[in-house]
Amino acid sequence: MPLALLSPLPSIKDSSISSPNTFRAALATERIEELTPGAAPESVYPNTQYQTSPLSWGQSPPQPQSGGRSGRLHVVLCAPAGAPGPHDVCPTSKPCFAALPLDSPSRVSGLSGLQIGFLNGGRRTGGGVPWSFTCQWCAWFPLSSGRGGGVLAGPSMGVLWSTSRDDRDSEDGDQPSPVIPVDPDACILPDAALCAFTVLDSVLVTLVQGPARWKMQLFEQPCPGEDPRPGGQIGEVELSTYTPPAGVPGKPAAPHFLPVLCCVSPSGSRVPCDLLGGPGGFTLEDALFGLLFGADATLLQSPVVLCGLPDGQLCCVILKALVTSRSAPGDPNALVKILHHLEEPVIFIGALKTEPQAAEAAENFLPDEDVHSDCLVALGHHGRMLAIKASWDESGKLVPELREYCLPGPVLCAACGAGGRVYHSTPSDLCVVDLSRGSTLLGPEQPEEGPGGLPPMLHPASLNICSVVSLSASPRTHEGGTKLLALSAKGRLMTCSLDLDSEIPGPARMTTESAGRKIKELLSGIGNISERVSFLKKAVDQRNKALTSLNEAMNVSCALLSSGTGPRPISCTTSTTWSRLQTQDMLMATCVLENSSSFSLDQGWTLCIQVLTSSCALDLDSACSAITYTIPVDQLGPGARREVTLPLGPGENGGLDLPVTVSCTLFYSLREVVGGALAPSDSEDPFLDECPSDVLPEQEGVCLPLSRHTVDMLQCLRFPGLAPPHTRAPSPLGPTRDPVATFLETCREPGSQPAGPASLRAEFLPPSVASIKVSAELLRAALKDGHSGVPLCCATLQWLLAENAAVDVVRARALSSIQGVAPDGADVHLIVREVAMTDLCPAGPIQAVEIQVESSSLADICRAHHAVVGRMQTMVTEQAAQGSSAPDLRVQYLRQIHANHETLLREVQTLRDRLCTEDEASSCATAQRLLQVYRQLRHPSLILL
Amino acid sequence: MSRQTTSVGSSCLDLWREKNDRLVRQAKVAQNSDLTLRRRQLAQDALEGLRGLLHSLQGLPAAVPVLPLELTVICNFIILRASLAQGFTEDQAQDIQRGLERVLETQEQQGPRLEQGLRELWDSALRASCLLPELLSALHRLAGLQAALWLSADRLGDLALLLETLNDSQSGASEDLLLLLKTWSPPSEELDAPLTLQDAQGLKDVLLTAFAYRRGLQELITGNPEKALSSLHEVASGPCPRPVLVQVYTALGSCHRKMGNPQRALLYLVAALKEGSAWGPPLLEASKLYQQLGDTTAELESLELLVEALNVPYSSKSPQFLIEVELLLPPPDLASPLHCGTQSQAKHILASRCLQTGRAEDAAEHYLDLLALLLDSSEPRFSPPPSPPGPCMPEVFLEAAVALIQAGRAQDALTLCEELLSRTSSLLPKMSRLWEDARKGTKELPYCPLWVSATHLLQGQAWVQLGAQKVAISEFSRCLELLFRATPEEKEKGAASNCEQGCKSDVALQQLRAAALISRGLEWVASGQDTKALQDFLLGVQMCPGNGDTYFHLLQTLKRLDRRDEATALWWRLEAQTKGPQEDATWSLPLYLESYLSWIRPSDRDAFLEEFRTSLPKSCDL
Repeated sequence: MPLALLSPLPSIKDSSISSPNTFRAALATERIEELTPGAAPESVYPNTQYQTSPLSWGQSPPQPQSGGRSGRLHVVLCAPAGAPGPHDVCPTSKPCFAALPLDSPSRVSGLSGLQIGFLNGGRRTGGGVPWSFTCQWCAWFPLSSGRGGGVLAGPSMGVLWSTSRDDRDSEDGDQPSPVIPVDPDACILPDAALCAFTVLDSVLVTLVQGPARWKMQLFEQPCPGEDPRPGGQIGEVELSTYTPPAGVPGKPAAPHFLPVLCCVSPSGSRVPCDLLGGPGGFTLEDALFGLLFGADATLLQSPVVLCGLPDGQLCCVILKALVTSRSAPGDPNALVKILHHLEEPVIFIGALKTEPQAAEAAENFLPDEDVHSDCLVALGHHGRMLAIKASWDESGKLVPELREYCLPGPVLCAACGAGGRVYHSTPSDLCVVDLSRGSTLLGPEQPEEGPGGLPPMLHPASLNICSVVSLSASPRTHEGGTKLLALSAKGRLMTCSLDLDSEIPGPARMTTESAGRKIKELLSGIGNISERVSFLKKAVDQRNKALTSLNEAMNVSCALLSSGTGPRPISCTTSTTWSRLQTQDMLMATCVLENSSSFSLDQGWTLCIQVLTSSCALDLDSACSAITYTIPVDQLGPGARREVTLPLGPGENGGLDLPVTVSCTLFYSLREVVGGALAPSDSEDPFLDECPSDVLPEQEGVCLPLSRHTVDMLQCLRFPGLAPPHTRAPSPLGPTRDPVATFLETCREPGSQPAGPASLRAEFLPPSVASIKVSAELLRAALKDGHSGVPLCCATLQWLLAENAAVDVVRARALSSIQGVAPDGADVHLIVREVAMTDLCPAGPIQAVEIQVESSSLADICRAHHAVVGRMQTMVTEQAAQGSSAPDLRVQYLRQIHANHETLLREVQTLRDRLCTEDEASSCATAQRLLQVYRQLRHPSLILL
Repeated sequence: MSRQTTSVGSSCLDLWREKNDRLVRQAKVAQNSDLTLRRRQLAQDALEGLRGLLHSLQGLPAAVPVLPLELTVICNFIILRASLAQGFTEDQAQDIQRGLERVLETQEQQGPRLEQGLRELWDSALRASCLLPELLSALHRLAGLQAALWLSADRLGDLALLLETLNDSQSGASEDLLLLLKTWSPPSEELDAPLTLQDAQGLKDVLLTAFAYRRGLQELITGNPEKALSSLHEVASGPCPRPVLVQVYTALGSCHRKMGNPQRALLYLVAALKEGSAWGPPLLEASKLYQQLGDTTAELESLELLVEALNVPYSSKSPQFLIEVELLLPPPDLASPLHCGTQSQAKHILASRCLQTGRAEDAAEHYLDLLALLLDSSEPRFSPPPSPPGPCMPEVFLEAAVALIQAGRAQDALTLCEELLSRTSSLLPKMSRLWEDARKGTKELPYCPLWVSATHLLQGQAWVQLGAQKVAISEFSRCLELLFRATPEEKEKGAASNCEQGCKSDVALQQLRAAALISRGLEWVASGQDTKALQDFLLGVQMCPGNGDTYFHLLQTLKRLDRRDEATALWWRLEAQTKGPQEDATWSLPLYLESYLSWIRPSDRDAFLEEFRTSLPKSCDL
């Protein structure tokens, strides 16, 4: 987004931080705009183009401000060459950032209406400027409505000077224009060695890294109509030598730190204030000015360029003296004066008003009256701060008062605010120190000595903002607060509204009592901090763990979902057995989860086993009684396996609704893993607070299906007759025996007719029979592996009962028919015999195997038949896939069978329909008939060839 | 195998060569472009292109067929880069070194050359080039660049050795460098060679001119005009660009002036003025010449012309993308005759010369112009003050005030002094507090810069001119008060340090005290209070025994009071002093003080002394 129009800041009331030794600060940071032009694709800036507009800079008289535009704070941002982009701004190449309050200071109260335009580096569509931007980004700000102008920096640290905004701006009102007009004949200094610049009235002061020395150059403003070439150099002087960074022999690479330039003018200067307001321009009180820069500068009322070099030198050049020409070179020794040596890279030069009474008086001044600073401040990278004030010694002589302080470093940037405050930013914090006189409580016995008096010590107070790489403080607003404009290392532009308590507790005079209290406070402060540190550490650990776990989960999911046809790396197999639980026999399903992948299943993974009974399985609409078991998988490393056994039935009503489907899935719970790391467990913590709880996705986890297993009748049949004799006695005959029946049975005389429902059923209700015929050839083909040498009937039976526990006995005895007990206790008889089908094939009889199921219970016979048919189906589809050829068949006969079946089915249909409509009496007959038809349908049975 | 690489290499070679030629042509197009920006951009692009080409060339192992091109590209790169940056850096030395190492790589001299310095590298490379004649021309070009680099870095010993190696002469370093340069004959370029920005012959010419000019200037500055003359003649007779020629003629004029040949000097200066647009140095030189000749009118005229000339902003022509003579010259020296200063400096010279030559009216006008130039910020163009070694700004103010008083404009002088005091009031000691301290018994007055006292002195003198005796006396008293508290040893470090550096401030302090005492004494005399006058004159004699005027005024007052014995004793002392070694006490005084002292110097001094002397024997006889 190229432009961001800011809405007025909400006024923020004193709310948050309040502790005895910090500023009571209502600190509000508002994110203005994320500066990410470097990452934006070209198409984002379709409108970026250069426009031609007359060079009006500095020539047209300032037009009266329209009402809507007053109170605008104008900002210049610039980035040095090869700025790595706002996202990884390092202290070596930080954007410099300065506020230019062009309107009268009293009206620069709000930062509203701040317009920021960003020009993405490296693009030009208009083609007007023969210069390609090599730096990542730069910014442009309107200086004022009437006068186009501004400083656009960035192209390889060249300076685009006097860019003017076209007049459309006034027509559109405050509509932000995405167009950044740059005059095609704008002044450009294509000098790759340019390291710093500042603008003073009609003069551009630049600092260039020469072959061996820093060179300060002065350029004159081009007049309209003149050739705007930057050759209007009016002065040049060489500053001290610079030492190239060690380790790069002979290569004058870009300096690790950039020099700092700023313009200082005496208070009596006739240069208008707003023209002085280049980045870092300020006005100094006469006494200090004269003291620092000498009588000549004072007498000439000449601005002075202060220059802080990366080697720590703080030097000054009197601007009027610097105006030289090629034929009249300036003598560096005469022109450049070294004020101080900070012995570390100079990061910031600024000026302050430290006299409180004067500051108060200044507030009563007319708004146009500017306040002259009385203290010069320079800040080094490692935190050394120099403050210079003018004071009078005992004999009335003017002497400089120099004081060095040590602030926490490394300093990234700094700004001077109202009320003698210096804000400076380190990677971990933004601190404020107070240099004003009122803040220091000198002892009453200490004599008041002149206007000097810098505090002997500074007490940095934290503002809890970290990594601010560029900073600007607005003048004191009417409310007495200060507004800071800050650019963070991540490219976030913030405004911070500070309401500094007027009575800042300075180094108050210590009494024993207060010292004790103070120590207590400090200790508790230390405690708080360490608590917070440990908490944050914990949170970080938690997040790391969550990330690791997520990564693992990702791997597992990929492995499972992409394994395709091959063996799955994580599998689950299900088998069933009967076992006796208490007094009841239960059918138990055993699921074995085996992890043959190289990942381990840790926290967050759950094995879900869903058991669906047949009624549910068939009836999909109804919310049926599916039971889901969830078993947390705790630490299943590679190669490990876990066995889970669960009861399938019969349930309390004694029934087991076969077939039962057991499906296994793996579930990964995001909430369990991530939720813990994100949950704001400490509500006071600002870092975690900003994590919204809805970070978690709608779905709470990931579901990975593993396997699906169906348990049918054939698996559940038990064969008491096959059991060895000694184990036969407690033969389980059905789950529950009717105590009355038992009684009757025991009472019965031996030899008499068996009584009870079973015998009755046997007598009056002949066992139902269902059969199915399969061609022997087909069966042989299907069963050929593992069953060779065994009669086909036996092999078939073995095949049918393959998943039953009794299969071994069946195999051992080579049985072809078997009597079993269904889970509900009814007998089930399975008979397999070979038959010959004569009618089917014209070529002769077809060898077939008939599987006959007999049972007294109609339900059981259905279940068993269903199970047998199910197996047959699978077999047939497998065989069909192998493409075995069918024998020559008598189609007519087949068709006959088919037609018969169809008539029967139709009858079933009509009968069922009638059953619904008829009354009770006739329905009984209908039901009888229906049963008969079913029987007919089953018995002559299907032939599978 | 090797055959194959050669064929590939040759086709690549053609490509590279074409690229070099194209870039060189681009730079030449840029050269002729009028638009500064475009020109610079084109040149930068060409430079980057050359850098890239060099990179790809040096990415491969050194091969003899490619080396001439590679060396040519190195030369082009260095030339363009140095001319864009207007100077040589260490980088260029490394580029040369790299080129030489590549040459030696083909000669399989692997081991020891890593430790070799540039000079040894040159030896080896040139020895190797005997075996590789195709490299010779490119190597000579590179050697020309090396020579330029060493010349600009003032490494003349290395330069001489290199030239000897190039000339294949064994005579040793004693030979004249100029001669060595002259005898160096680089092989002529082949017609089909890759394009170059500047060939070896061109480099040789530039080197020759620059070296002779450097030497000539050096001799001139160190005070050897005869030696300078021969070198400068050498330059003037050779191929020399116009701007340099102007400078050479000016320097020649200066030489002749110093050698006492004003007519020949004048001829050279006229030639210089005819030659070019940089009129400043010859005009300044002319004014010096006229001053030497005593032709004040002509001197002031040329100074006025100088001021006019400097009003035109200096427009430097955009430099060529070549190694030029200017690139090899040392940074202009303040002491060199080519330093003409800025407009305001010239204006100050003009004004002060007017004051010195007694043209007070003109001086006053010029001073007022100068101050307007310096202080009026509505003037778009900054004008620097006459910075050191000239007087400091307060002294310029004082000189202006002196000029005004001398021109009879006392009221203007008073205004000027007020302005001076108000502008620097923040720097002055806090008087109000001091008076309080004085009441409490603190005796010490703060040290004041000399010029504050001098301001009061001039104010007093202005009041004298206006006939306000009382005010004048109080101003003199104020001046004396400040002066007597001043302790010159305790010099200020901050405010006025550069101000008093030029002149001996203790001498000036003494003279200032004497001047203030005499002035007040004269006022006492004028008001008829001879006793008070006597006191002041006595004090003056004690404070500043070197000032003869004080003696004279004392003598006169004593005589008037008819205190003959004392007068005679004083006369003898005065006589002894004048007979003794006459030390020139006023040579280091600031101009304003000098002028002031001339006012209070009695005009009839010699007549009075003579009369006194004639009256003496009588008294002796008695």
